[in-house]
Amino acid sequence: MAQRKLSILAWQIFILVVLLSVWEWGYDTAKALLPRAFVPSILDPYFIAKPSMIWTSFLKLGCFADPAGFLACYGATPNNLWLATLVTIKNMLWGFLWGASLGVLIGLTLGRSAYLSKIFEPFIVAMNSIPRIALVPLIILMFGLGDLSKVVTASIVVFFVVFFNTFEGTRSVDRDQIAAARLLGASELTVLRTVVIPSALAWVFASLTPAVSFALIGVIVGEFIGAERGLGKLIIEAEARANAAEMMVSIIVMMIVGIILAFIVRRIQAYLLRWQPQFEQQH
Amino acid sequence: MTDASNDLTMAHTTAGSAARAPGAGGAADVAAPVRIRVSNLDKRFRTAGDGVVAVDNVSFDVRQGEFVALLGPSGCGKSTILNMVAGLLDATDGEMAIDADPVVTGKVNRKVGYVFQRDTVFPWRTVEGNIGYGLEIAGVPKEERRRKVERAIEVSGLAGFGSSFPRTLSGGMRQRVALMRTLILEPDILLMDEPFGALDTHTKLEMHKTLLEIWERERQTVLFVTHDLGEALTLSSRIILLSARPGRLKEDFEVPFPRPRDAVSLRETAEFGQLYSHIWHSLGEEFRRTKAE
Ligand SMILES: Nc1ncnc2c1ncn2[C@@H]1O[C@H](COP(=O)(O)OP(=O)(O)OP(=O)(O)O)[C@@H](O)[C@H]1O
Ligand SMILES: [Mg+2]
Repeated sequence: MAQRKLSILAWQIFILVVLLSVWEWGYDTAKALLPRAFVPSILDPYFIAKPSMIWTSFLKLGCFADPAGFLACYGATPNNLWLATLVTIKNMLWGFLWGASLGVLIGLTLGRSAYLSKIFEPFIVAMNSIPRIALVPLIILMFGLGDLSKVVTASIVVFFVVFFNTFEGTRSVDRDQIAAARLLGASELTVLRTVVIPSALAWVFASLTPAVSFALIGVIVGEFIGAERGLGKLIIEAEARANAAEMMVSIIVMMIVGIILAFIVRRIQAYLLRWQPQFEQQH
Repeated sequence: MTDASNDLTMAHTTAGSAARAPGAGGAADVAAPVRIRVSNLDKRFRTAGDGVVAVDNVSFDVRQGEFVALLGPSGCGKSTILNMVAGLLDATDGEMAIDADPVVTGKVNRKVGYVFQRDTVFPWRTVEGNIGYGLEIAGVPKEERRRKVERAIEVSGLAGFGSSFPRTLSGGMRQRVALMRTLILEPDILLMDEPFGALDTHTKLEMHKTLLEIWERERQTVLFVTHDLGEALTLSSRIILLSARPGRLKEDFEVPFPRPRDAVSLRETAEFGQLYSHIWHSLGEEFRRTKAE
């Protein structure tokens, strides 16, 4: 078993090294060896930069390369890498929290009431068929270039994902389990708290991991279209200067943020759903 | 719950059961008050076709301290009757009453405990959490709850599994959990819908032992649905036999075996065999009718 794990890890490192090497030296090597027509332009550092260039850009954007020192640089650049990352994470978290809370709340309410869900069904279907991205310019018009419009965008994107899952989860709660709880003395509210919510939780969590990525997408798109700060803004600025390496820095930072947040959600999920067989090992 | 003096290990001291001769296995105690009354009960389900008549004009009484088995072939409307008595389902016609109070659909009667045919333990709660559920939501203090749950776990032979989640338990153990979850609230009327229907013969016998032990101590009023004749004879004091669908009352007879009963040795007695084959003939007809459909 341990050996298997080791060999998996070895393969992963090997693949990573190959990819990075091709990225770093592939284009130059190909140019030196092959006729011009065969040089793969997809590897052109002008478009995709190079690991070494990305590292240099990272040091620069991250204020590590400034001769005046880190703090001076940090204070002087309004949208430096760290600030931009924090702003994007902040907007994303707020958007995620609002969207997920509303999604769970409304999903539970409509899931428990056939009457209300019948009333609201056409509205929700209509809203859901709007591509979320199409709303972003409107949202920026309404809420301005500041952080609020990003929070709103992210929460709308998150809301629908979480809402639909919570709704389905609530509707698929075992009726006999609800009846059993009632017969054991549970009130409507107690049934909701002790049966419906725990049982729908699996569905809710199934939507939260993608919701984290969606929240990030929402914020970044908002920042692309109109913003004063944030990682998306950093990318747009780098694009204006045709600086692929700087774009890559922001993209990699986003990737790391996404991985960390997804990891946190999974840990919480594994704990809360530890009664389910698929989460047995983790605890 | 309300009657705090009752405990799982204490004998019931309600008037009806105290009046019974100890060791009596059958003979209806006519002095005992009627706890469950079902009169002229009809149930028709609306379906895509003409609708299904599930229950047709069924009437019976269950008196204080009786253990009544509702026996009939699969699909004859046993669960339907029980669900109506529990207030989980509307009757098409007829009346039901618990202690002379008419049953209102959707309103839970605290005196009544119900054990489902299907597995309804909460998979997200541990064994302790499941058994203590009713006490917890009733706001029973933690210490008292823990004490009662512990005793229930012991009585039901689940010792050592208190903090396990249901998915790690066998079917029989899960059904013990479901049973204790209901019994810990000390309902003095118990409605049970084939609680052991999904278990293998051996586990079933074990469950019979446990249930007999508890019931012979506490003498709750029980209405126990089953399609297993042996089970009905082992456990009950009276058997109500239903016909195949639509469920009609077919026969109603006493089970005279003395108590305390032993679930295993009882089955080896001659009386058991005789009664079994007698009822089997009535029942056999019904089974053939269901099969022919
Ligand atoms: N909700 C429903 N809608 C339509 N028909 C139903 C419904 N519930 C039960 N029935 C029908 O009513 C009849 C009686 O069902 P019921 O569940 O009471 O049977 P049962 O005696 O408990 O059988 P079993 O021993 O298999 O549990 C069956 O024919 C079933 O098809
Ligand atoms: Mg049934």
